[in-house]
Amino acid sequence: MRKLPVYLVLDTSGSMTGEPIEAVKNGVQVLLSTLRQDPYALETAFLSVITFSSSASQIVPLTELSMFQMPDIQATGTTALGDALSLLANKIDSEVTKTTTEVKGDWKPLVFLMTDGSPTDSWQKGLTEFQKRKVGLVVACAAGQGADTKVLKQITEIVVQLDTADSSTIKAFFKWVSASVSTGSQKIEAGGVEVGGLSELPPPPPEVNIVV
Amino acid sequence: MEWIDWLKEIGLPVEDAKHAQTFINQYEDTIKTFVHEKWNEYLPNQENELPLINDSEQIENRIELDEMKFGESTNQGKENAEKRETDFLQLQVKNKHVTVSNGKVKQKYCFLFDAEADFPGIENVIFEGLETIGLQYNTETKTIEGTPTQAGDHKIIMRYGFKNREESRPTSLEKEFTLIVNPDPRSLWKNTPTPLDEEYYKPDEDKAFVKVESKTTRKLLGLKQEKEARKDMVAASQRGRSHAHESKARDDDFKLYFDDASEWYVMVVADGAGSAKYSREGSRIACTTVVEVCKAKIFELKDIFETQITEFHKTDSNENRKKIGDSLYSIIGTAAFKAVKNIEQEAQKKPILMKEFSTTLLVSICKKFEFGWFVGAFWVGDGGMGIYRKEEPEYLKILGEPDGGEFAGQTRFLTMPEIIQPTEIYRRLRFDIVSDFTALILMTDGVTDPKFETDANLNRIEKWHALWDDLNGNNEDNVKVDFSDDNEQSADQLLEWLNFWSKGNHDDRTIAILF
Repeated sequence: MRKLPVYLVLDTSGSMTGEPIEAVKNGVQVLLSTLRQDPYALETAFLSVITFSSSASQIVPLTELSMFQMPDIQATGTTALGDALSLLANKIDSEVTKTTTEVKGDWKPLVFLMTDGSPTDSWQKGLTEFQKRKVGLVVACAAGQGADTKVLKQITEIVVQLDTADSSTIKAFFKWVSASVSTGSQKIEAGGVEVGGLSELPPPPPEVNIVV
Repeated sequence: MEWIDWLKEIGLPVEDAKHAQTFINQYEDTIKTFVHEKWNEYLPNQENELPLINDSEQIENRIELDEMKFGESTNQGKENAEKRETDFLQLQVKNKHVTVSNGKVKQKYCFLFDAEADFPGIENVIFEGLETIGLQYNTETKTIEGTPTQAGDHKIIMRYGFKNREESRPTSLEKEFTLIVNPDPRSLWKNTPTPLDEEYYKPDEDKAFVKVESKTTRKLLGLKQEKEARKDMVAASQRGRSHAHESKARDDDFKLYFDDASEWYVMVVADGAGSAKYSREGSRIACTTVVEVCKAKIFELKDIFETQITEFHKTDSNENRKKIGDSLYSIIGTAAFKAVKNIEQEAQKKPILMKEFSTTLLVSICKKFEFGWFVGAFWVGDGGMGIYRKEEPEYLKILGEPDGGEFAGQTRFLTMPEIIQPTEIYRRLRFDIVSDFTALILMTDGVTDPKFETDANLNRIEKWHALWDDLNGNNEDNVKVDFSDDNEQSADQLLEWLNFWSKGNHDDRTIAILF
């Protein structure tokens, strides 16, 4: 079966402490319980979570939605965005099946990245690595005013910003992510086509502003 | 000292109790985690302190230490130490993240949860919230088990007590964790009939059985009568789950025909493109037109065509081969041309672009001769078509090449201008003469994708063996198609077989079999 890989790349640096990190945890739970109700997503979507603070680590490897378990996450340390991007590149290499004559590979991964600050490591190196990989849609989310949207714009064209990193706003963002994953899996299962761009995603809620 | 004064003393600019409370509410978990970490750091540094108390002996020791250290009265010392230990253990239990594996509705669940081993020092563990979702805790095997009945994120409460603590019996302490039960994906798929007033309405399922009765032949100068069984045709077409979920029509189609007079069989299967608006009509026009034209052309050309086949059987020469190719072109090629013309006409009537009627096409015409079966074929698009013999000598011939792109949905369609060119049509014709076969099968990709997975697998006879076994009842639903001669029930059986469950494969499914 061809899976639709979805990577959530989440900032867990010290500045996310308190409400933001709790909101992210809740957000992921909302995302999971919503997607589990969607027959398309339940059968194709595979989820992975990569968190980054002083360094990046993949806390959940690419896992079938029905088996997915969200571990506890803590906010601490700095913002190693570059490390997160190179780890993501490595994981795409090892977890996503490529199409050959013998095997129909997986669909191109969807990536949702969320950060509330500016990278503290040499992030360009990680970006170069990441850009060598074939991915589908990449959405970067600047959570609050402290995030550097200029950096995010270099990672992907699709950058959204949350005015504040409070729980209702973050929840709204994750709801939109889950609707986007639903759309993505429905498109491939019903028509065999992948999501091409932001215009094909459900419209973001008012809390989520598109950065032009 | 009031706690608010204490906050002020450590330098926090709190205004009043309400303000301070807001702060605490917001950072409650962080504060707890921080205090917990600091507590852990603090403990090992304490002389004569045991970092972790996890059995009664150690607790007794600890109490003794406390007594020695503080010189307090026995009871007082014991109580204080116990209290401190209980608080500490409780914090430990509270902070440990519990993960139990996810369940699935109507599927047996069993998860080893040895709470007493996971949380040293606790006992009398009971769980609340399991029964209501169809589960229970087996204290002997220490497993949460049963068959979940309800999907959702279920809150389960674990109640427990600490060993050797009078005050914590009965089990008054609790820890909450989440047990996720996934819904049965089948239950999430809706099955909404296509509205009857839909343009180009087509039933959501279809089936056909063409019974070709045994023929009585006279042998030995007409003295002995012999009954010879003849192959029948069966086909079924089922709307895909993704279409059923959204109340959309079936895009696949098929048509079978047997000519009593000439004994030619014609089978056609077509798959309308998912992305094309009226592909359901495209596939229907293709099937009906191809059968009509083949019928007429076979009637017109059968004498010369059958002679060519007999000649070719005697002498397999390039010249003889070409003659058959030319005749096939006149029959099936003409049929394909006409199908495109009819589709074009319909598109002009709307008017709309012809690609909105995009469809694949798989055609086979065949007849039994004294020396064996002649099978001619034409194929555009994905899906599969092959002659299969199960018995020794095993045999498999794929009658063309699937036009599968690197990604699904990149296939070719009959309605593409580059397909309906004479050389391209000729290139797609195939024929074969075989002594006998188990089945000649035509399938759309709704069947080949789940059953063969890749185009390369279509050439592997093991996969055809598996498919034939599957059709004969070797599947998880125990649905068997009875392929005995003249079995009219086989159409219903085949239609039911098409309901097989395959994760991620929800396309329309159509299969036609000559057996």
